[in-house]
Amino acid sequence: MTSRLLSRLGQGVLVVFALETVTFFLIRLLPGHPFLGERKLPEHILAQLQNLYGIDQPAWVQYGQYWKNILLHGDFGPSLVREGVQVSSVIAQAFPVSLILGVFGMAIAVFAGIPAGMLAAYRKNKWQDTLLMLLAMLGICIPAFVLAPLAGIFLGMHVPGLSVAGWDDPGCIVLPALTLGLVNAAYLARLARGGMLETLSQDFIRTARAKGAGPVRLLARHAMKGGLLPAISYLGPAFAALITGSFVVETCFQVPGMGMQFVNATTDRDYFLIQGLVLCYGVLIVAANMAVDYVQALMNPALRTES
Amino acid sequence: MKWVFLPVIVAAFFCGGCGDGRFSADRAAERGTLIVGNNSEPQSLDPHKATAVADGKIIGCLLEGLVRPDPANDAEPLPGMAASWECNERADRWVFHLRRAQWSDGMPVTSHDFAYAYSRLLHPQFGGRYAEMLYPLRNARAYNEGRARWEEVGVQTPDKQTLVLGLTEPMPRLPLLLLHSTWFPLPRHVIEAHGGMLDRRSLWTHAEHWVGNGAYVLREHRFNDFLEVAANPLYTRAREVKNRAVRFLPVVNGFTETRMFFDGKMHMTNNVPPETIEAAKRRAPEAYCEDPYYCTIFYRLNTARPPLDDVRVRRALSLAVDREPLVRDVVRGAGRAAYGFTPPGAGYETPPMSPARNDRERIAEARRLLAEAGFPGGKGFPTLELMTSSREVQKVMAEAIQAMWNKNLGIHVDIRACEWTAYKAAQQNMQYDLSSSSWSGDYLDPATFVDLWRSGGGNNSTGWSNPAFDALLAEAHAASDASSRLAALRGAEGVMLDEVPVIPLYWAKRTYLKSPAVRGWHPLLLDNHPFDAVSVDSAESGKEAEK
Repeated sequence: MTSRLLSRLGQGVLVVFALETVTFFLIRLLPGHPFLGERKLPEHILAQLQNLYGIDQPAWVQYGQYWKNILLHGDFGPSLVREGVQVSSVIAQAFPVSLILGVFGMAIAVFAGIPAGMLAAYRKNKWQDTLLMLLAMLGICIPAFVLAPLAGIFLGMHVPGLSVAGWDDPGCIVLPALTLGLVNAAYLARLARGGMLETLSQDFIRTARAKGAGPVRLLARHAMKGGLLPAISYLGPAFAALITGSFVVETCFQVPGMGMQFVNATTDRDYFLIQGLVLCYGVLIVAANMAVDYVQALMNPALRTES
Repeated sequence: MKWVFLPVIVAAFFCGGCGDGRFSADRAAERGTLIVGNNSEPQSLDPHKATAVADGKIIGCLLEGLVRPDPANDAEPLPGMAASWECNERADRWVFHLRRAQWSDGMPVTSHDFAYAYSRLLHPQFGGRYAEMLYPLRNARAYNEGRARWEEVGVQTPDKQTLVLGLTEPMPRLPLLLLHSTWFPLPRHVIEAHGGMLDRRSLWTHAEHWVGNGAYVLREHRFNDFLEVAANPLYTRAREVKNRAVRFLPVVNGFTETRMFFDGKMHMTNNVPPETIEAAKRRAPEAYCEDPYYCTIFYRLNTARPPLDDVRVRRALSLAVDREPLVRDVVRGAGRAAYGFTPPGAGYETPPMSPARNDRERIAEARRLLAEAGFPGGKGFPTLELMTSSREVQKVMAEAIQAMWNKNLGIHVDIRACEWTAYKAAQQNMQYDLSSSSWSGDYLDPATFVDLWRSGGGNNSTGWSNPAFDALLAEAHAASDASSRLAALRGAEGVMLDEVPVIPLYWAKRTYLKSPAVRGWHPLLLDNHPFDAVSVDSAESGKEAEK
C-alpha cells in the first residue's frame, strides 16, 4: 500500500513538472504580451518593462530562473499585470474562498447525487429511476452559465437571506454552492447508479437478500462499498476542480475565487500568475487523485492485494 | 473569509442566509459608505503603473493634483493642491502656487513631491506606460528616451510652495490636462522607504503602507472582492467630504452588476448592458441614467491593404452604414449616431463627415463610389475580415454592419471575434482588414481625439497619413489662443474624415443605475467624478420596494 502511494507520489511530481513546463512555453506562444493595453506602448517603454521583469531573455533562461526562484527562494514571482502584487498573495486570498465554496458545493453534490443514484439503481426501471435520471440528465445538460443567473433571479431576488452575488455575508455562499453542487450531483447520480446496478447484480447481494436484508441494510452495508467506486474515482478530480474555482459560477455570483483569477490571468497574459495557478491546480489534482487511490484501496480488497 | 467564520457559514447555509433583513446598501448608507460598481479589478493604485479607467477612479479618491475636478462641470477644473496659478502670454510657462497641505501621515506636500513624481514617471529605466502624458513638458520626451538629463526637463521648484512648468508648445488648456493622475504628486518619503523610485514591485500602494493627499485613504483591498477607501482626516478640505467611505466593487459582468443593484448590494452600477436597458428602464425608471460620454465607437480600416488603400472604397463603406438603426436597435439607445470623429463638447464643433443627404442618395453615392473603384454592385470585391473583441455587443454590431454592407453594396465581410489581448495585439500590429475600436478622451479637449491620426502616431494603427493633416495639427499645437487652436483642429479632423481611415459609428453614452438616495452626482463627459462630493441618504437605497 505504502509503496503504491509512493509510486503515485513520484508520478504526481513528474506530472506537475510536465504540466508546468508545457504551460510555461505554451503561454509564451500566445499572441500579445502582459503589457498590452488599450493604447500602444512606445517601443522603448515596452523594452524597459520587459527588461525589468526579465521577459526579454530567451525562454529557456526565463524557465531556469523561474524554477530557481521557486526552489531556492519560494518566490512564485510578481503579477505582471497587477504590478506590486505577488502571485503568492493573489493565491493566498483567492484559494480560501474557492475552498469554502468547493467544500459546500461538493457536500451538496455528494449528499444529493449519491443517494439519488443509489435509489435509482435500487428502483431500476421504476418511476423513481426515470424521474431521478431525467433530473440528472437535466443537471448535466443545463450549463452553469444558464443555471447561475436563473438561480440568482428566481431564488436570490426573492428568498430572504439569499444573495444574488457578492461575498460580503454568509448568505452569499448558498447560490454559488448550489449551482456548483447540482451540476456535480447530476454526474455523481449517474455514476453511482451505474456502479450500484453492477454491484446489485452480484451473487453476494442475492445471498444477502435471501438472508432477509432490508433495502437500507442491503444498500448501505453490502452494495455501497463496491457500487460507489466509479463515483469515488470521479470525486477526486471533481473536488480539485471545485476548490480551484469555477470561472462561470464565480463571475455570475461575483465570488473572488481562483477561477476568476485563472481566466483573467490567461486573458491578460499574466505569465507568472498563470504558472502559479497551474502549479497550485496541478498539486491539488495529484493530491486528490492520491486520496482517491487510498480510499479505493481501502474499499476494494482486490486493489489492496495488487499493491 | 476567515476560517473562524466557517461555523457561521454552515449555520447560514442551512438557515438560508442571515443578517438583519436589510440590504447591504442600506447598512452601508447608515455608516456613510457609498457602494459603487467599478467594472474591473484595479491593476494598480500607483498612478505611474495604472492605465485602466477603473484604476483612475480610485486613484482620484486617494491622490489630488494641482487641480481637482468640478463635480458638476468637467470643462473647468477647481484649484486642488495649487491655490492659484498663472501663465505667460504664450501659455508655455506656468507657475503654480501650492496651498499648505499634508500627506495622510502628516508630512507636508511640497513642490518637490510633484517634481519627484514627474522624474519617476519619465525616468528612462522606470518603464512608465503613460509617460507620454508628460511629454508636453520641455525635454520630457528626450529625457524619457535617454537623450537628455533630468535637469533639462521643464520642471522647476524655486521653493517648497512653487512649481514652475515649462512646456514645449503653448497649452492654454493645461489645467484640464493636469486632472489626469499622471500629473499627481507622490509621497517621496514613502516610496523611497519601500524600495525606491524605480522599484516596480514596491509595496507602497498596499493598504498598510498607503500614504496619499486625496480626500480618502486606502482602508482595505481584497482582490476581485472590493476595495474600500475611508475619509482622510488630514485632507485639506476634509470638512467638505460628503461621505465617510467609498467601496468599489470590481464587477466585470454587467448582468451580475445589474442583479446586484436590484438586490440592494450597491448604490450605483458602472454600466447597464444594452440587452438589459429596456428591462432596467421598465423596472426602475427613477434609477436608470443615460449620460453623454467623451468616447467614440468606430471601425479602423487598414489603409495599407487593398482594396482599403482606395479612398473611394473606404468612403463607400462608411456611407453604407445605417447609423441610426445601429444606435436604436443594437446598442439600444446607449449612444448617438456619429457623423464625425471627436464627440462634440468643450466648445468644439465636430466637422460633419459628409454633406447631409437622405438615405437613398447616401446609398446611391456609396454604390457609385464602389463602382468607380472597380467593384460595380460589389462584383469582384474581395472578402474582407472584420475583427472584433469577444464582447457580445461588438459581435452583434459587427453582424448588423455585415448585413448593411451586404444589402447596400452587395459585398460580404467575414467576422472574426478574438479574445481581448489577441484582438489588441492584432490591431496594434495592423494584422486586420477592419477592426472595431473605441477611444475615450484622457482630458476634455478635442486634441486627445484628433492627435490619434498624426502620421506614425502609436495609436493610429491604420497606416493612414496625410501631410495636410499633420500641418494643421502642428498649427493647432503652435497656437496660443484657444479659438485658432480649435479651428486648426477642426480643419485637421475635416481632412481626416474626408479620407476615411476610420468609420465613426456612434458617440457612446454612459448607461448605469443610480439609487435615488445618491446625492451630488452630475453627468460629466469624462465620467471623472469626485466621490467626495457624492453623498448617500440612509433613508432609502437602490432596492426596489416590491422586493
